[in-house]
Amino acid sequence: MKPLLVLCLGNDILTDDAFGSVVAKRLSRNNSGAFVEVIFAATAGFGLLDLLKDREAVLIIDAIITGKAKPGTVHFFPAGILTPSYNLINSHQINLPTALELGKQLGMAMPSDIQVVAVEAQDVETIGEQMTPPVKKAVETVLTAVKSWIDSKITERLQT
Amino acid sequence: MKQILIDPITRLEGHGKIHLFVKDDGELANCYFQVPELRGFEVFAIGRPVEEMARITTRICGVCPDAHHFAAAKAADAVYGVTIPSAARKLRELMYNAFYAGDHTTHFYALGGPDFVCGPDAPPAERNILGVVAKVGLDAGKAVIAQRAAGQRVIEIIGGKKVHPVTAIPGGNSKRVTKEEQQEIIKLGEQMVEFAKFTIKVLNDVVLANKGYVDLILSDMFTHKTYNMGLVDANGKTNFYDGKVRVTAPDGSRHAEYEPKDYLQYVAEHVEPYSYLKYPYLKKVGWKGFVDGMESGVYKATPLSRCNVADGMATPLAQAEYERMYETLTGDRTGKKPIHSTLATHWARVVELVFAAEATLQQAKNDEITSDKILNPPTGIVGEGVGIVEAPRGTLTHHYKTDQNGIVTEANLIVGTTNNNAPISMSIKKAAQGLIKKGVKVTDGMLNRIEMGFRAYDPCFGCATHTLLGEMPLEVIVHDAESGEVVQVVRRNF
Repeated sequence: MKPLLVLCLGNDILTDDAFGSVVAKRLSRNNSGAFVEVIFAATAGFGLLDLLKDREAVLIIDAIITGKAKPGTVHFFPAGILTPSYNLINSHQINLPTALELGKQLGMAMPSDIQVVAVEAQDVETIGEQMTPPVKKAVETVLTAVKSWIDSKITERLQT
Repeated sequence: MKQILIDPITRLEGHGKIHLFVKDDGELANCYFQVPELRGFEVFAIGRPVEEMARITTRICGVCPDAHHFAAAKAADAVYGVTIPSAARKLRELMYNAFYAGDHTTHFYALGGPDFVCGPDAPPAERNILGVVAKVGLDAGKAVIAQRAAGQRVIEIIGGKKVHPVTAIPGGNSKRVTKEEQQEIIKLGEQMVEFAKFTIKVLNDVVLANKGYVDLILSDMFTHKTYNMGLVDANGKTNFYDGKVRVTAPDGSRHAEYEPKDYLQYVAEHVEPYSYLKYPYLKKVGWKGFVDGMESGVYKATPLSRCNVADGMATPLAQAEYERMYETLTGDRTGKKPIHSTLATHWARVVELVFAAEATLQQAKNDEITSDKILNPPTGIVGEGVGIVEAPRGTLTHHYKTDQNGIVTEANLIVGTTNNNAPISMSIKKAAQGLIKKGVKVTDGMLNRIEMGFRAYDPCFGCATHTLLGEMPLEVIVHDAESGEVVQVVRRNF
């Protein structure tokens, strides 16, 4: 079985979209051992298929704008609540649930357990290498969340 | 006056909006399309070495990184006044064709195709790649994935990395290709050609065999007679990587053919007060508003535009498909009469997919690609350079000025989709005019037909790299502009 995956998404030169990249760098510093793999990927849709296949449990780190929370707010949700994309007018990609469903239909082993930790971003349109202050602050919160996710998954594995 | 807002709530909230201004009597007064544009690139670029731009600009767009890589690399070659060795040029072109084969595949099967394969009126839940797979078969789905993987493997071999290539540097390439790698690329190329043939079959069986679809493609609602733009090689054939920019008029006559470095003599940008968007137009014709015809400087830069300006395709299967497309839609297989049906862009994309696959295989078989002579190190500096490639979604221009050390002092980009800002707005307006009438409720199917008008352009709005939350919950708010009262709300995918 492949290790647990912490999949950090984003764009390291797009202000708050660098969040995933920053978290990945911090996580890589603390070697989590053979149980966990940390990947930063500036990709989506089809590109996620390769990263997700043959994994059992995946934690996705990302920056999003829901417009319903203050920048820096950390959202937690299972990937299952995201509905498949029906209209793909603004991105040359398919979304995560569509990619997962496609992978399953094509006979790939897709993870049954995907959790998402996403920070509410303020600016993901200005090209730049610095995050905005509230988003920067959320890094520590998310690192703690990642650690407790890893601990709980390792405990689960040891128990089974 | 009412305003109808079609608002895709993406992770970039509030972007990709369609604004429809509706008069009280139900007539559509105006329409424009608002898309996000990344800010701050120029500031970001200034002070950095120009050779870095080929690596940095791949990161501003997760959709066409390879296009940015080569446009920036070609601009840097020009900044240093260096001609790259023939082998390096062949490697770059080969890699770019492999990239195209993958990118056009995604669009045809996942984005544009569902409207035809599943039907424009199919329930939204079926109108996606899963619906395509359900209809065309699981093997098709596997082939799509394999085709993408093949393209990425070629990019990895030549470009050094799968997603964001790094090997094009001023004067050539930084990585050689071994004989073993060449053999692998040939195998991948063969696979791509087979897939391209399969795609022609899908297009025939599912789209062209349905007269209703052909009528839809040719319908006035999806027709705009604009100028067209695209790169052509020395023989006047379509080329994605290099060549002269050719512009033809709505009647098919030649408007201009110029070297990339001269682009500012031909293209200017119009700005509308309501939008921060720029609308490029042909300088010598002039900006006459959002209208088509010989007198309007609006042009398109799309797969169909490239077919319209070119004298044909440089490979046999693609040429045959090109001729069939023109024969079917204009009655003249030479392609001298341009096609103005926006929806035919999907067909043109298949023609290009076939060309990209054939060219990949053909170029992979050339032993020169394993040559050691892949770099002419720069010895001087010019200090200014323009690089133009055809991104899958339109002509992509990178323009840099530098100091004597090659440090960027000025940067200008015209990205693929930007070329099409005006025609996209016009397409939406025309589709909306045909559908939105007094007393008629806006339905989901109507929205999709409006979207089809611009989906054909394969627009790339979010140069942000990913869209985790999914793309398109759509919200249409119809409200009276004067009182602000909400008249109707149409929502889907919430």
